[in-house]
Amino acid sequence: MSTTLRQRQTVLTRTVLYGMAILFLAPLVVAVITSIKSPVEITRVLALPTEFYWQNYAAAISRMGRSFLNSIAITVPAVAFSILVGALAGYPLAYMRGSSGKVVYFLLLTGMLVPFQIVQIPLFFLVQRMGLHDTIPGMWMVHTAYAVPFCTFFMRNFFASVPRSMYEAALIDGCGPFLYFWKLLLPASASGLAALAIIQSRAIWNDLLFAITLTASDKARPVTVQIAGFASSLQVEYGPLMAATVISVVPVMAAYLLFQKSFVRGLLGGAGK
Amino acid sequence: MAIQPTRRFSRTDWTHLGFLALPTLLFAVFYIYPVISSIRLSLHSWDGFAPTMRYVGFQNYLSLAQDTRFLGAVRNNVIWVAFMLVVPSGLGLLLAAILDRGIRGERAFRIIFFLPFTIPAVAVAAIWRWMYEPDNGLLTTVLDLVGLGGLAQNWLGDPGVVNYALMGAVAWWTTGFAFLVFFAGLRNVPVECIEAARIEGATPWQVFWKVSFPLLWPSTIIVLGMSAIDAMRLFDVVWATTRGGPAYSSDVLATLTYDLAFGRLEMGRATAVAVYLMAIAAVIIMPYIIYMSRRVQDSEAE
Repeated sequence: MSTTLRQRQTVLTRTVLYGMAILFLAPLVVAVITSIKSPVEITRVLALPTEFYWQNYAAAISRMGRSFLNSIAITVPAVAFSILVGALAGYPLAYMRGSSGKVVYFLLLTGMLVPFQIVQIPLFFLVQRMGLHDTIPGMWMVHTAYAVPFCTFFMRNFFASVPRSMYEAALIDGCGPFLYFWKLLLPASASGLAALAIIQSRAIWNDLLFAITLTASDKARPVTVQIAGFASSLQVEYGPLMAATVISVVPVMAAYLLFQKSFVRGLLGGAGK
Repeated sequence: MAIQPTRRFSRTDWTHLGFLALPTLLFAVFYIYPVISSIRLSLHSWDGFAPTMRYVGFQNYLSLAQDTRFLGAVRNNVIWVAFMLVVPSGLGLLLAAILDRGIRGERAFRIIFFLPFTIPAVAVAAIWRWMYEPDNGLLTTVLDLVGLGGLAQNWLGDPGVVNYALMGAVAWWTTGFAFLVFFAGLRNVPVECIEAARIEGATPWQVFWKVSFPLLWPSTIIVLGMSAIDAMRLFDVVWATTRGGPAYSSDVLATLTYDLAFGRLEMGRATAVAVYLMAIAAVIIMPYIIYMSRRVQDSEAE
């Protein structure tokens, strides 16, 4: 290939790459800039703010109430529980021989095609009867339960990529299947667990559907429901809304940036199998 | 050991069953029971409060089949599936392929393309309502600036435009996932295969389509499967951005169900919509699930 053609190709791919990067960043940048603009400056969308209008953040925080804390209180334990349950199911399904394991695996996977709308109404009454409506433990339970198909799928594939010889050697050495899981398999799967933790944090922190159905007050309502409430009012004040949006985005984004190495590695082990 | 394990059911098997107990219990209580209960509810007329439900047979299903709002939502859902399978996946593959060629600042680009995927749907809705604001939004402002102001629309207020506007926002939101899975997959392609093809005189274009892409199959299947599942479940972004409006033009089955159940208290009719949704999802996604659970056997046979 001639050098000029290769150069032209490089220019083309560079242009596509930078163009896409601008497209991907622009909405986030505009959101951050809007969140520090005063109401007068907000309509000039391309202008930079002349002052840091912190009142937007004050308004956002007072409107969000304790929903931010609720989101943390819901997400952290629910992520841990859902990964644990996924690992519990994934372990035997990765090692069991014979057809019974395959039937169970298939059944659990069919959960992925169930749209959450079909469970919504019975779920509302079920959670209410358990006395867990509008409570944080209720949200833990629901998020853990609905994560079963995906977390099982993910952990099962990850465990299957751990060499089987390790399992057989451990059993021969007299290490029981339970000890093997706890002492050897889980520590060996740290990167997969981390990747799933990131995926689950995002899914649970970002959830709107279960939260609007199953929470009713400040006691348990997470930040997504709160933002949806004031984003859809007729006269939207974009300054405080963008401030609240920026606040709601930070935790998962930070988690991803912190763990991105193990995330990519875990994704390869789990999803790439 | 005191008890000699029988040949058919060893201690290991019992441990395995013990591990499966909690996940299957959760599955039974939160998937199987509510689905059966919903199918029963869909044959009734009920407002959610009355002590008894009135049995109406298949009437909910029959009347929905002639309801233009329902049919519009079905059509939108099908279009969303097609869109999600093609656009974010294609764009993600393109970006991954470009970045895989070793470009300076690869790490920064990788973060930029993935960032939108980490944010909540309600934040996507809030940000894009501001992008699409008809007078001062970024899109209209930029179009005016480059002299294309005539192309500006009432992005979220025009029934003919709103679905494309939502798709733009969703492409921005979800492309990062496809990108990262493909990128991780490309990193797994053995360098020797690519080198061999290069030495044989293949162009980069040929190397990609003939060597890398076929080896990317595990990534492709994950991306397409997850896209189809997300498209059938699509709710949050649409609800938080438009509530299915204007004039029901951006309704999908999930927003329709929610509105019927919790807005109009027509629980029977709402669950009938959800049953239709599950039936459509089953047709589209079941082959994928069968394929995924079969693949298990293949990988164990290796």
